[in-house]
Amino acid sequence: MRHNTEHDSSHGSYAPPVPGAAPSVGGAVPAVAGMEEILKRETHSSRAVASIIAAILVAALCGYALLETAVRAVGQPPWLVDPQTAAEQVVALPDGVPPLLLGALGAVVVMAGLFFFLNAVLPGRRARHVLQDRRAAVVVDDEVIASALARRARVAANVSQDQVMVTVSRQQVQVSVRPTSGVPLRPEAVLAAVQDELRDMALSPTPEARINVASTGVVGA
Amino acid sequence: MNGTPRILNRVLIGVLGFKLLAIGALLILLASVPAVGVWWQSWSAGVLSTWRDLLERTRFPGRAESWLWIVVVLVLLLVIGAMVAWVAQQGKGRVNLLVSEEDPGGVPGNVRIGSGVAEQALRAALADRQDLAGATVATYEFRGEPGLRIRIQPRQGVAPHRLAADVSALVEALDSALGKRTPVLIHIASGARSRFGRAERVR
Repeated sequence: MRHNTEHDSSHGSYAPPVPGAAPSVGGAVPAVAGMEEILKRETHSSRAVASIIAAILVAALCGYALLETAVRAVGQPPWLVDPQTAAEQVVALPDGVPPLLLGALGAVVVMAGLFFFLNAVLPGRRARHVLQDRRAAVVVDDEVIASALARRARVAANVSQDQVMVTVSRQQVQVSVRPTSGVPLRPEAVLAAVQDELRDMALSPTPEARINVASTGVVGA
Repeated sequence: MNGTPRILNRVLIGVLGFKLLAIGALLILLASVPAVGVWWQSWSAGVLSTWRDLLERTRFPGRAESWLWIVVVLVLLLVIGAMVAWVAQQGKGRVNLLVSEEDPGGVPGNVRIGSGVAEQALRAALADRQDLAGATVATYEFRGEPGLRIRIQPRQGVAPHRLAADVSALVEALDSALGKRTPVLIHIASGARSRFGRAERVR
């Protein structure tokens, strides 16, 4: 994922497909306040899944500690381990536990910690792009964009559906075409068609299209 | 556009992750470096003895148990309650009213429009489109104001910008019917139904 490349956006060429209703508000920015925040929230992960996992983890640990403490408070024998014995074992730690087991346990805990920590620190962008629209905030999954571009490329290249593969990332669109054996294929025409479709979509951030034509053809397609 | 507390999520996950990282690193060091083991035993023995003193001084008069255990139980219950509340915050924000305003006309009273009006109108308008594999409409509260969230699953190969323009026109028609512009989010999504369903051939 590249973040540092700034593309000259082609938003100016966007023409509203519905005739009649002329856009009065400045360009494509929707008039309703808070729209930009909605779009920012929709294109970034809410980390709800990691939060729920973390909450369940902490609650389970506390539940177990609660059980042992309550048993201790009413003077009953412990369920698994008495809190005092557990504390003494922790104090004596390198002794009493095989070092291999201790190291493996530490590695597992570090892995879990990394999962949560990276989830919190990384930007958490979702594979989505923002579409310009007069009225509403529109977000599109990258998969939908890829499928639309693949259809356009397939028509332009005159090949069958499984000969085209399109990958869409934040700043890039990669089109891979496997031509039919014996039928010439002009990569520029396919690329131009894909770029035309991309321009119509007016995505932000605007990805850059690239084409890759396989050197081997498909027989009998 | 739901009310998930994103900053809180980030902070709490970050704190938990950092703590787990520290504990795990300590365990690995204890297992591999003997000097760390010596330091750990002396340091943690000091901590444990202060706790023991505390437990000794907080005994019930005439009994062997300390009342500090009850405090620990209460604190643990509090933490569990906080965790349940945190989970309950995720994805909240569904509301039942799309419009709730005072009528400026001569008749006293409020005007309330349920969210079902917009949801069912949009769903019915999108239902017989051949290029869609599914559409769901829900009303969420965003910053104290109700807004519509329209989630559309197009079939494979449907151009998203044309679909967005169509849905946006529907929303504008709804605006004029309701007499109020609400925030609208259109999410053109891909899912299992659009992935494995048949592609749209004619359009």
